[in-house]
Amino acid sequence: MSPFETLKEKIREALPGLDCVIGWRQGFDPLHATPFFMRAPEDVEKLVWSPLCVHNLSTYLPSFRGKKVGIVLKGCDSRGVIELLQEKLVERENLVLFGLPCSGVADLTKLGRAAGDLDRVSAVAWDEAGFTLATPRGEVRVARRDALADKCLSCQFPNALEADHLPGDPLPPATGPDLGDEELAALEAMAPADLMARWAAEMSRCIRCYACRNACPMCVCRDHCIAQSRDPHWLSQEDSPREKLMFQLIHTMHLAGRCVECGECQRACPVDIPILALRRKMNRVVRELFDYQAGLDSQAVPPLFTFQVEEANIKERKW
Amino acid sequence: MKIGVFVCHCGSNIEATVDTASVAGTARAFPDVAYATDVMYSCSEPGQDGIIQAVREKGLDGVVVASCSPRMHETTFRRAVERAGLNRYMLEMANIREHVSWIGKDREANTNKAAELVRLAVEKLRRNRALFPKSFDITRRVLVIGGGVAGIQAALDCADGGLDVVLVEKTSSIGGKMAKLDKTFPTVDCSSCILGPKMVDVAQHERIALHAYAEVEEIGGYVGNFEVKIRKKATFVDWSLCTGCGLCMEKCPSRKSHDAFNEGVGLTTAINIPFPQAIPKKALIDARFCRQFLKGKCGVCAKVCPSGAIRYEMEDEVITEKVGAIVTATGFDLFDHTKYGEYGGGRYPDVITSLQYERLLSASGPTGGHVKRPSDGREPRTVVFVQCVGSRDTSVDRPYCSGFCCMYTAKQAILTKDHIPESQSYVFYMDIRAPGKLYDEFTRRAMEEYGARYVRGRVAMIYPKGDRLLVRGADTLMGEQVEIEADLVVLAVGAEAAAGSPALAEKLRISYDKYGFFMESHPKLRPVETNTAGVYLAGACQGPKDIPSSVGQGSAAASKVLGLFSRQKLESDPQISQVNQRRCVGCGKCALTCPFGAVKMIDVRGEPKAEVIETVCQGCGICAVTCPQGAVQLEHFTDNQILAEVNALCQS
Repeated sequence: MSPFETLKEKIREALPGLDCVIGWRQGFDPLHATPFFMRAPEDVEKLVWSPLCVHNLSTYLPSFRGKKVGIVLKGCDSRGVIELLQEKLVERENLVLFGLPCSGVADLTKLGRAAGDLDRVSAVAWDEAGFTLATPRGEVRVARRDALADKCLSCQFPNALEADHLPGDPLPPATGPDLGDEELAALEAMAPADLMARWAAEMSRCIRCYACRNACPMCVCRDHCIAQSRDPHWLSQEDSPREKLMFQLIHTMHLAGRCVECGECQRACPVDIPILALRRKMNRVVRELFDYQAGLDSQAVPPLFTFQVEEANIKERKW
Repeated sequence: MKIGVFVCHCGSNIEATVDTASVAGTARAFPDVAYATDVMYSCSEPGQDGIIQAVREKGLDGVVVASCSPRMHETTFRRAVERAGLNRYMLEMANIREHVSWIGKDREANTNKAAELVRLAVEKLRRNRALFPKSFDITRRVLVIGGGVAGIQAALDCADGGLDVVLVEKTSSIGGKMAKLDKTFPTVDCSSCILGPKMVDVAQHERIALHAYAEVEEIGGYVGNFEVKIRKKATFVDWSLCTGCGLCMEKCPSRKSHDAFNEGVGLTTAINIPFPQAIPKKALIDARFCRQFLKGKCGVCAKVCPSGAIRYEMEDEVITEKVGAIVTATGFDLFDHTKYGEYGGGRYPDVITSLQYERLLSASGPTGGHVKRPSDGREPRTVVFVQCVGSRDTSVDRPYCSGFCCMYTAKQAILTKDHIPESQSYVFYMDIRAPGKLYDEFTRRAMEEYGARYVRGRVAMIYPKGDRLLVRGADTLMGEQVEIEADLVVLAVGAEAAAGSPALAEKLRISYDKYGFFMESHPKLRPVETNTAGVYLAGACQGPKDIPSSVGQGSAAASKVLGLFSRQKLESDPQISQVNQRRCVGCGKCALTCPFGAVKMIDVRGEPKAEVIETVCQGCGICAVTCPQGAVQLEHFTDNQILAEVNALCQS
């Protein structure tokens, strides 16, 4: 039995005791998987597992708080669950975690660039080396490196870090280039004025749909997001890059020491603004200051939720 | 809203570099400002009356005073505003003295900056609302931490004033450093003769509960209602049965235990009463040396104890005490003289610290008051005292003067002559610091009547020569090198903060300086208060101090406690955090980060929500900045107020 079949069997066994199990099913076209809430044993047959299962399903967990649910997890998704556990936003005893070793998911934006028009792709197939798209112009072959999400190329956590069921052999960490680091290095090399101009240009595309926020597993304020509140009134409704960038900065600050770098914010962005760079920068700062990465240990206290008189890497007295 | 702005000259303090009339003129154009004027001294009686009159005549709803730091006069102006009939929190201050006039000379730039600060204050005040303090009951008991002379004095004064006192002492007896001294300057009276009666008073006072060999583990609560967890360390002796007869010490076979009371001069028994006048006079087993603990068999003390008090299985006990105020009197520790490798401290047995020498001089010490060299027990003929060991030396990060070393060195020189009339003392000093009543006369006496030879200069190195020590140093007055062959060298080690002071300060939530000494609220005018309400300081925990000053501070701290408790109820500052429960998503991050335990999670219709305990909240605002959705707002420092200030500054 393949690991995936084993997992389905485990889900069927667990389902009677659970409100639902969150996984993926085939979406509206061959390229899209979609989140799927399995409630009955027959639903399990519709569960899919492929490089198109891009969504981090842990985003849904806080809304099921207090209910018993199962969830299918990639390695990166499991960090979201762990961070939620750390922040006591979900209870471990109410969760059944089904992990699968993941060798990377597709970046549909990248595939779209190769295929021309994603809407007209009639079939997709994949193998170790890459993806094959059936388009009206004929078959298009995209190499793995050009098709996978950036985060997957250098993924350090291909296996769920916390799981009740983890069928199949664990995968080794990926050894590809860290494109995120390269992007950050390029940004950091820019002069402040140029950087500001670049962000202003990027943010001018923003339509303030807040998809980045809604996809973020760590955004738990939901209806009470400070971006849309009049009291306190942090952001005006003015349609300017300044207000839009301000929201991104607020989101980044709110994620300090919490962001698990799943990249859902950027993936969800309908206008492809490279906003993950801001979170990555903050994560790097947190890593340097506190030797800490979010979502690795459910027992750890995130650095900004605690207080040390003397931080190891912050030499306050030497300032 | 009608706002009045009062721009203070502060004599020439502000007016010299700020055009206050022009600031007032600019302020008249700010939104809601109905009246603005400049005042000579706004804190003076006419100044305050002017504010009150303006409030009444112009019908003002709020007042901005542009003057000094609110630390000085905020309460002054709050009272004035209240006298005028307004809520006392409808006041904002713009600090145009410390932040403007004192730090810049450019009158035009200063005037602009002062106007901008006034603008910020106006924008903030426009969003203020009337706040009302809550009053709460006080637990009229006081915790004194540390049973040295300062703590003893504070405990006795509080108890005599009718308060119940909980006195916690880290070691097994109160008395502190003073109990280890032989004589005290400048009167050369016996230390234990003057301290002993006070220690006995502590033991016998019905209002003092003494917890010796105990440490403060945790402090919760707030002024008027602290809850203190005290760890009573295991003594392995049931003190309710121990009579202090000392039979166990006579028979104990582990005779090589570290003698902390005698500063490691000589050895003692594993079961031990530190000194004859100890309070409480109870035995204690040092498990690091006791054969019963090391080898698992011995039990001699248990066999000989006539009252059957030995309890090898005893464990630490944590008790909880409720108090309304805390006096911290944790004292100091001595500088570790082994840091000066060139003085050979720790390597040469005859280079000792001043407190070790004190034990050699003391009749209750290991030598019975006979001055003997630790190496061979011989009586020294030449004794060299080296001052400023760990004081006034930036190379060991001790730039401060420890204050009392000059005096105790003079005393020890005098006592040396008393003990060994044919001896000769030398004192290497940097300056003689003797600014106290009868102090300078005392050091003169050491030189003139007792023949101590004072050499102004530092010692470069000390090394052995035969069975003596060669002390090489400079005589800067003569401009030459000096070498003295000494039998005994006494290092006048300086004071440093007691080990663990920063950790205790964190528990008490008080500030401490970079050396670990606790910070007083104001170096001149609030010397025993801290910035945490209800926590007071006494003695050398605040900085090096001699006995008279420590006793004075003990009494001063007690008077502060008595003053605090003379009120029926205390009022809490209403500028605290508030949770908007509709916005709260119950993530609990505020409760996690609150340093005061002032946020509790409650259940509102099945959902977790945060709630602030009003009297516990100190208004620090950590929860407010932690809350992602802004559900926690600090009264009078709300996000909207701060945003309004930023907007006023950036958009004007």
